[in-house]
Amino acid sequence: MAVLEKDEMLSLAENAVSIALKKGAAEAEAYVYEGQATNVGIERGQITKTNRIIDRGIGIRATVNKAVGFAYTNIIEGQKAIEDTILRALSAARASKPDQDWNGLPEKKLYAAAEKTYDRKILELSSEGLVDLASSMLDAAVSVNKRVFPIEGGAGAAYLSSAIANSNGVAAFDRGTIMECSLAAVAKEGTTVTPVCFEFNAGRAYNVNPEWVGKEAARLAVSALKTKRIETATTKLILTQFALQELLYFTLINAVKADNVQRNQSPFQGRVGEKVAAENVTIHDDGMLPGGLRTWAFDGEGTPHQKTTLIEKGVLCNFLYDNYAAKKEGKESTGNASRAGYLSTPSIEATNFHITPGNKTPDQLMSEVDDGLIIYYLQGAHSSNPVSGEFSVVATPAWKIRKGKIAHATRGVMLAGNIFEVLKNVSVIANNERQMGQLVAPWILVENVRVIGK
Amino acid sequence: MEDILANINGVAVQKFGAEYSETRAQKLYKTMLTLKEGRVEAAKQGIESGVAIRVLVDGAWGFASVGSLNAEALASAVSDACKMAKTASSRLKTPIKLAETKTVEDRVQIKPKKKPSAILMEDKINTALSINKTTLGYDKRVKSCTIDYLDLTGTNYFANSEGTRIEQDKLYVWSRITAAAGSKGVFSFSREEIGSTAGYEVFDAETPEMIGEKVAKRAIKQLGAKSPKGGKSQVVLGPNVVGVFVHEAFGHLAEADLALSGGVLQNNFGKKIGSDLVTFYDDGTIDGAFGSFKYDDEGVPTQKTLLIKDGVVTGLMHNRETAQNFNAEPTGNARAENFRVEPIIRMRNTFMAPRDHSLEELVEDISSGYYFKSFRGGQANLDGTFQVGIQEAYEIVNGEIGDPVRDASISGNTLETLFKVDAVGKDFELWPGRCGKGQTAFICDGGPHIRIKEVIVGGSA
Repeated sequence: MAVLEKDEMLSLAENAVSIALKKGAAEAEAYVYEGQATNVGIERGQITKTNRIIDRGIGIRATVNKAVGFAYTNIIEGQKAIEDTILRALSAARASKPDQDWNGLPEKKLYAAAEKTYDRKILELSSEGLVDLASSMLDAAVSVNKRVFPIEGGAGAAYLSSAIANSNGVAAFDRGTIMECSLAAVAKEGTTVTPVCFEFNAGRAYNVNPEWVGKEAARLAVSALKTKRIETATTKLILTQFALQELLYFTLINAVKADNVQRNQSPFQGRVGEKVAAENVTIHDDGMLPGGLRTWAFDGEGTPHQKTTLIEKGVLCNFLYDNYAAKKEGKESTGNASRAGYLSTPSIEATNFHITPGNKTPDQLMSEVDDGLIIYYLQGAHSSNPVSGEFSVVATPAWKIRKGKIAHATRGVMLAGNIFEVLKNVSVIANNERQMGQLVAPWILVENVRVIGK
Repeated sequence: MEDILANINGVAVQKFGAEYSETRAQKLYKTMLTLKEGRVEAAKQGIESGVAIRVLVDGAWGFASVGSLNAEALASAVSDACKMAKTASSRLKTPIKLAETKTVEDRVQIKPKKKPSAILMEDKINTALSINKTTLGYDKRVKSCTIDYLDLTGTNYFANSEGTRIEQDKLYVWSRITAAAGSKGVFSFSREEIGSTAGYEVFDAETPEMIGEKVAKRAIKQLGAKSPKGGKSQVVLGPNVVGVFVHEAFGHLAEADLALSGGVLQNNFGKKIGSDLVTFYDDGTIDGAFGSFKYDDEGVPTQKTLLIKDGVVTGLMHNRETAQNFNAEPTGNARAENFRVEPIIRMRNTFMAPRDHSLEELVEDISSGYYFKSFRGGQANLDGTFQVGIQEAYEIVNGEIGDPVRDASISGNTLETLFKVDAVGKDFELWPGRCGKGQTAFICDGGPHIRIKEVIVGGSA
């Protein structure tokens, strides 16, 4: 695929910054983005569709008298489109209100290279290659059991790049690749249909394992066919990465964002140095994790990514900052300004949210559970209270554990509690780390969670 | 514009042998604001223009999108789409076919009373500032207020190889207001959304002061709320929760793509799956509603679709592909969020029809239960398991609405729960919202107050 080169992207950004200054901006920043993706889609047991999406654009922030304006366009051909966008950013800034806490755009810093984030083989992958991959995933799923019905999934390859420049001399470019394959399946027997079971592989290099994905989605679906109701109880839970990702994204991750702390909407306000989790819980945000799904050299404002300790041995250490929140406290940004490509202004987000693994194998973790549940998929985690951390969600399917072994599947179990209590009740952490979106974590065992059964 | 699109379709059919080709173009303008405690984080303006090409070659779909009207880029996109479709078709067992629809030539113009593009950015900021002022001024325990605002205007163009050509204006005005309150280590959170396809006049009906007070009042009430008891309970749902219940517990299952994927409605067409009181519609024709439009993104006219009548499943929501599968008519539910993505089956304005009870009558016979008034999120599963999170709830004790209850959710299975709807109110409200199914769609949902004999309440007490 033909992509925009580093020099083209950087000069687009730098050119936009210098025009903005000439047109009257006090400060200016330009973010140029390119994304190219090829996907093969599976629907209802067969490969039915393919797509190729090319998305490019530029987002420009300009300040006038401490008021911030932003404009973007996806038309980057020709000087006029860029100039119009700059003028719209300036007119937005002039219409806006000054912000006394605005202390300027980020300063120039040195960058380290992100490791294992680019694989040329992904760029060269043809749609035939993706069809083969998706096809082997489908075949693997159906080979597990004829009651398996793959409902949706696919394989995709993407190239992403960004360049950023600002009036403080920041000028940076990074590029990377991502490849993934995923499958959602149900199992059917008579009139019984299981809840949806899902597996995937995603990485920055060309090393996905479609057969494993297909087999695992199918295995989970088949094992969810025969279910038994469980009793309401306070019990032990093993949270797999699927469940952790959902729960943490809508609760804990909000609580460690510095803007939420500053704005009185985090229970962690004023609690740095205090114990907020069990002794065995250590969490870093690591934007430079080699091969991480969210690993890039710099964030959405051109601040270098870094590794930030959030919780160490249960003690709250730090928060996630962007440039604005950091300057408000006279601190340095932790490189957590995130952008939705060229379409948005930066906002604070975790990069790779990394829970340090323990040393128990998954089997050893299971053997710690005399009576409990293992939780994969949650419904409704986004309805959690983002400030208090209270959640009330459905786990379906989930599996009952008795004497360290899976006893049977269950459906429609509700879990209710508070994430900050859950953190204090983490008793064991396994060693089976994997990446899922921004989460990098192993399974964890949690005590005393309220489970509502039949 | 339609000529350019028709030419692309011509190339797909004549040069690449596509049996069907459709091309969509959009020229959209967005204005966005984010305010936090009255501080304008950024005033934002955006342009999104591009072209999407979707072709059917040997029974498989190919899709390409480009953010450009450049002839060379379009030529390469149509070639990509056709070649990739051919590649995908190599493993096809059941080729895709489309249901027939009438060809349409139309130009849809929107004439709002208050065109968002004619309102100054300064005025939009002032509207947001007055919402903020009312919210934070309501009570000093309200600690923060975030306001997001979006308006989107522009034109979508559509042409397909069957001769349909549509030029359709687009207009959306949306805002989300959230407030967090805190006192003595207790935190609460409250959200309101407004959304309209009519125009900026939406703020005349729902004034900034009304919105601000609603958000703040709920956040404060929730500070004193207790945790609900987990387990089975009799409940009354308010129209705002009923809407999400209809959308999540039934609506998604009535999307024909999900029904075909093994969803529980697949084998229940024409069967009774709920009490006599249960009648649901999905309606794209309601003037000004957030989920309304005239033509969907396959060029099919929207309609009012009856999904379930007196408990019996009577219809599904279709695109042209699933309509062919079910030997039904397309219902105009194929929607694409923008030019970057393919149209998929989405809801429009989905609601339950009202009956004859007053709220007092619904509550009076309940000795112990809950009144769930306002939702926070919800999610469905193919097997009929639904979950709806609740941001505002009250106990019902001896036939009366009592103390506030915090952060509950309800769950159950659709096929069991619809039979347990035992009384339906005579009031009606429609609420705007956004639905995620890989893409975001603007929708409405709603209904009257209803009573359900039994659902599972997720509570930690």
